[in-house]
Amino acid sequence: MEIEEVISFLGRHAPFDRLSVSVIASLARKIEIRYFPRGTIIIDAGKENDLLSIVRSGAVELRLGGTELSHRLGEGAVFGYPSLLHHERTRNQVVAHEDSLIYQLPKAAFLKLLESHDTLKAFFAKDEAQRLRLAVAGLRQSEKGNGDAAMIAVKLGSLLRRKEVITASPRDSISDAAKLMTRADVSTLPLIDQGKLVGIITDKDLRRRVLGQDVPVSEPVSRVMTTDLITMAPDDHLLSAMLLMSQHNIHHMPVVNSANAIVGVISSSDLLNRFGMNALQVVAEIKAATDAAAIARAARRVDAVLAHLTESGVDAGNVARFVSNIGETTHSQLLKLAEEQLGPPPVPYALVVFGSLARQEQAGGSDQDNGFILDDSYDARAHGDYFEKLATLLCDGLNSAGYVYCPGDIMATNDKWRQPLSVWKERYRNWIAKPDPENVLNTTIFFDMRCVAGREELVDSLREQIFAWSSANKIFLSFIARAAAHTRVPLGFFRNFLLQHDEREGDVLDLKHQAIAPVVDIARVYALALGLSEVNSEERLRKAAEKGALSQDAVSDIIDSFEFIRSVRFRHQSGQIRQGAAPTNNLSPELLSRFEREHLKDAFRVIRDHMDIVSRKYAGNIQ
Amino acid sequence: MKRGWQNWFQEKRFAARWQQAKAAAQSTPMAGYYDALLPTDNLLEDTPLIALDFESDGLKEDAQLLEAGWVAVDGGAVKLGSARRLRIRAGNKLQGSAVVIHRITDDAAAEGQSERDVLETLLADLKGSAILAHAAIIEQAFLNAACLRCFGAPFVGRFICTMQLEDRWFPKERTADGFRLGKLRAQYGLPYYRAHDGLTDAMACAELFLAQCARLRTENLMMEDVLMRG
Repeated sequence: MEIEEVISFLGRHAPFDRLSVSVIASLARKIEIRYFPRGTIIIDAGKENDLLSIVRSGAVELRLGGTELSHRLGEGAVFGYPSLLHHERTRNQVVAHEDSLIYQLPKAAFLKLLESHDTLKAFFAKDEAQRLRLAVAGLRQSEKGNGDAAMIAVKLGSLLRRKEVITASPRDSISDAAKLMTRADVSTLPLIDQGKLVGIITDKDLRRRVLGQDVPVSEPVSRVMTTDLITMAPDDHLLSAMLLMSQHNIHHMPVVNSANAIVGVISSSDLLNRFGMNALQVVAEIKAATDAAAIARAARRVDAVLAHLTESGVDAGNVARFVSNIGETTHSQLLKLAEEQLGPPPVPYALVVFGSLARQEQAGGSDQDNGFILDDSYDARAHGDYFEKLATLLCDGLNSAGYVYCPGDIMATNDKWRQPLSVWKERYRNWIAKPDPENVLNTTIFFDMRCVAGREELVDSLREQIFAWSSANKIFLSFIARAAAHTRVPLGFFRNFLLQHDEREGDVLDLKHQAIAPVVDIARVYALALGLSEVNSEERLRKAAEKGALSQDAVSDIIDSFEFIRSVRFRHQSGQIRQGAAPTNNLSPELLSRFEREHLKDAFRVIRDHMDIVSRKYAGNIQ
Repeated sequence: MKRGWQNWFQEKRFAARWQQAKAAAQSTPMAGYYDALLPTDNLLEDTPLIALDFESDGLKEDAQLLEAGWVAVDGGAVKLGSARRLRIRAGNKLQGSAVVIHRITDDAAAEGQSERDVLETLLADLKGSAILAHAAIIEQAFLNAACLRCFGAPFVGRFICTMQLEDRWFPKERTADGFRLGKLRAQYGLPYYRAHDGLTDAMACAELFLAQCARLRTENLMMEDVLMRG
């Protein structure tokens, strides 16, 4: 005997449509049918719930706990499962929006069904990820605040002045070009040949390349123009332009269309005028600084930049890039000044940074992690003194600039981390060939490295060697994967919090170690296993997906979770900064809104699932 | 919803009929059913109900029963775990029109159990429960006729009729087919069911009853408030 109407209904709706008829038939026999007239509460927030609900007819409204948000669910929609999956009280209220007939499946039957059907498990997990995505979108929306377009969404085209762009021909004389610039009162002149942008000349070029070099002004301007141009399209985002300009320290960016015809010039002052205090200005000031004290003054404004960008609705990934950019510039400028003071380096070397700065994922309150990779021609007796002094100038300078000394002494001042390339290689070879759990936990940071000054090829050579060893060594990978799975994503934290939400809770959530590190670890495992040269976690994950190691959906889920967690951190830090406090990674639970708690939990769950996957995939039977 | 002496009078008559039937059913398979008399002064939500529907080849008392479908309603929920749908082996050839309505063919009906076996299974579930049906007077008549046929004793039970409740609770002008199950369900936003087997109709009736009680918005409905009167 089969309950035909119920079976055919479930068979038409996700996720039950993926089950066999016999499974649906036995499921149908466990269902209880209830009727809720319009306006009645089906599930109340903060209550025990032991039923999975399915809308058979009518419609219900899901009211997200602690927010004004609500979500309408119609025929076939499923609700009430988060509390079942996580054995908690309900977060949301569900009210009958119309007279509704609801099928309800008892918790035990639901959990048993999940156990034996991975497709259902995936459905309910995915639904969490989708909710997370909506949450991220909603958050950005809300941060726009005054209805002004969020900075993130601004396209270059909208910033271009309407007036015609003043241009000249590369065949014009320098003198004519200079006169045109004076007449039109522009500091930048794009040079156009046959409708295409071929070069650019600026006030600074006239000073440096013409007057400074005694080039006759009768020469064609093509002789002194910049041809190696960085351009952008009107559809590109303001944020990308700012990043490029800050990375290359350029003040004028030509905007061209697809035919390479100029449509305008964006200047950094345009951006400053529009967005006030920002990263570009700080980077420019650091680069212009002539002593360590001036660098420190500028670099210490990184906090204000972080707060400003976060409040402008810039996404966490880009906030971290700007913050990292300031960190990187601080390093390179300090080193440049130190070299000026000590004279040129006796042998080639590279300044390598580790950890969050290497990944371009820096947040507020970061310490320093760096080292020198010296060319193998290095001779300790002859050159040791120079590099020790160089390291001291760098690390002291960083400390005064707010990048405090590394508590683990991973700094170029420690001569362990100031060694020739061959010594570095040998050290990594040892870590990889003879992994032990202690070792692995202490060395993961070294697998995220980037050159910020000096000879990039030294760092590249080391990295290539490391990846060749690591991707071939299954045992090492299993240790790394196991270390990644070692982190306890603090799911239980929320359960306690919810149950004791009236009391002052002494516990804090360490966003960096409990929430962000696991994602970084997952990305690193993939990078080491697949030999990826990317350092940024997001880029590592995307590349891993390209190589087929995980699905595009999985990558989007992790990246969304990562983004959400980091956005919570940045908002938390920007709040601290605005109150004049130093930014930290420790979050008191009472500072979290219900909305954040709800979605952090979703994010943690996505991350935990992927930790399990990584562990299954690479940790092998050691786990 | 107190009706005082009317309820009292009806209950008196019911008790007399119940005792009579109980005596007649002694030493028949129906004896067990009569061991449990359901009181009327209980809260509705504490009372076990069985929604019941027979498919037959006609509407007269001597009609051939083709199928019985039933499902329990408990604490405001239709419990599908209790759902039953039993075919009854046909004694005579089916009458044409019923076949069209119910899509039950001679072959399918022939697979069923004997009427007696089906009744025994049904009576075991009905024991201690009230019976819920749309136009319950028909189910009442069928059940009584079948019991007399098989066991030589009448059937007496507590019936709730959703058709009667609709008229009693929400009286208004209606068209000729205004009391049809599907039509009433649509007014409550209940889904359209394609099938018309005994079980689907029993479920449909059970859901209608939940909807009617919800719309009435009366707290603490008692059994006596919903029982069929007649």
